[in-house]
Amino acid sequence: MKIPIHVSDESREPIYHQVETQIKTLIVSGQLHPETPLPSIRALASDLGCSVITTRRAYQNLEVAGFIKTVQGKGTFVREVKNEHMEETKQKVVHDAFEKAVEQGIQVGCSEEEINHIFSDVMKKNFK
Amino acid sequence: MQTKVLEVTGLEKRFKKFHLGPMDFELEQGMIVGLVGANGSGKSTFLRLLMKLMREDGGVVKILGMNWKEEEEEVIYKKKIGYAGELLESFDSTTIKDIKFFISHFFPTWNEEKFTRLVERYRIDIDEKFSKCSKGTKKKIDFIFAMAHEPQLLLLDEPTSGVDIVSQKKMKEDLIRFMEEGERSIVLATHTVDEINQLCDQIMVMDQGRITQSFYKDEIHDHWGRVWVSHITNNVKNHPNVIRFEVNPAQIVTNHVSNVEDVLQAEQITINQTQRLSMEEVLEYLIEQE
Repeated sequence: MKIPIHVSDESREPIYHQVETQIKTLIVSGQLHPETPLPSIRALASDLGCSVITTRRAYQNLEVAGFIKTVQGKGTFVREVKNEHMEETKQKVVHDAFEKAVEQGIQVGCSEEEINHIFSDVMKKNFK
Repeated sequence: MQTKVLEVTGLEKRFKKFHLGPMDFELEQGMIVGLVGANGSGKSTFLRLLMKLMREDGGVVKILGMNWKEEEEEVIYKKKIGYAGELLESFDSTTIKDIKFFISHFFPTWNEEKFTRLVERYRIDIDEKFSKCSKGTKKKIDFIFAMAHEPQLLLLDEPTSGVDIVSQKKMKEDLIRFMEEGERSIVLATHTVDEINQLCDQIMVMDQGRITQSFYKDEIHDHWGRVWVSHITNNVKNHPNVIRFEVNPAQIVTNHVSNVEDVLQAEQITINQTQRLSMEEVLEYLIEQE
């Protein structure tokens, strides 16, 4: 049971948070359907090279936020997510992605004007 | 739930040329701790002391909630521990089948079905004499005997050394599965980075009979890193959290990224990029550093 998530070597974001965001994205984008079984905290920790403390924390947060559920003795599963919740998460995922892109632009020395220019180019290409 | 399966206080053992401890160590239920360190750093001695295969010169151990010094309790907790070291060497020219006959009687929780399954899984010929087996096969047999009585605590001394790649992978899978069933724990002495990466929650570094470092694996992820910078000043070179530096391209290796970032800012040094270190690299620094 593998799910497509990985821990970034560049990001300073804590691992549990990276895992949380990536699982949320997989659920919101429909790649993980409701009732899909998720790897155990031990198996996921092994895949990602982190400790079970980290994966347990990510699962706990996802459970509290209503994205997954744990069935005693059976494992952890994806939950049916409410529509408003979906919308909110979608917005957040895209917002964060833009923020990262802009940060990178600033890092290589782009001006506000340049970044804006690139942004409208990409938009034009995708929404003709 | 924070039950401790191991509480070691001031454990000591003196040999003519080697002194172990005093060691303090704790392990929580549900955790896997990796014991790393150069050859001869005391990892095996530590495990053998826990198993009472030799007498300690000082210190106290609580193991699975029981007093390690009481002989009546020793009989009870030993049945709940799976130890894979060089315990079977004394059986020498006995066949695996006969060793099993002997060992299975010692453990009330012996799981014959599990033993059979593991013997098949690792392709062990149980009619073979133990002394005739290769080094890797002996390791697999050690492993099977440690697992087959459904222990609560595993003490594994380099379980995969000399073992073929496919069996190594199977052992890792078996250990992960072992941890899934209830509240179990493992102490794993190892030289294999993959095992640290894929199995361990905690790492304990040993050097010359002492524990020099002990932490959760995620702390490495959070704090260790390589930072590429515009230039390096003396204050940076001499900073206690800077482990190594190179001038061209200017970069530093640190065990505390955020502490070093503060210094870099104060010195008006630009950070070009930060990257986390691989476990292999970190272990190299940790073991070499001492």
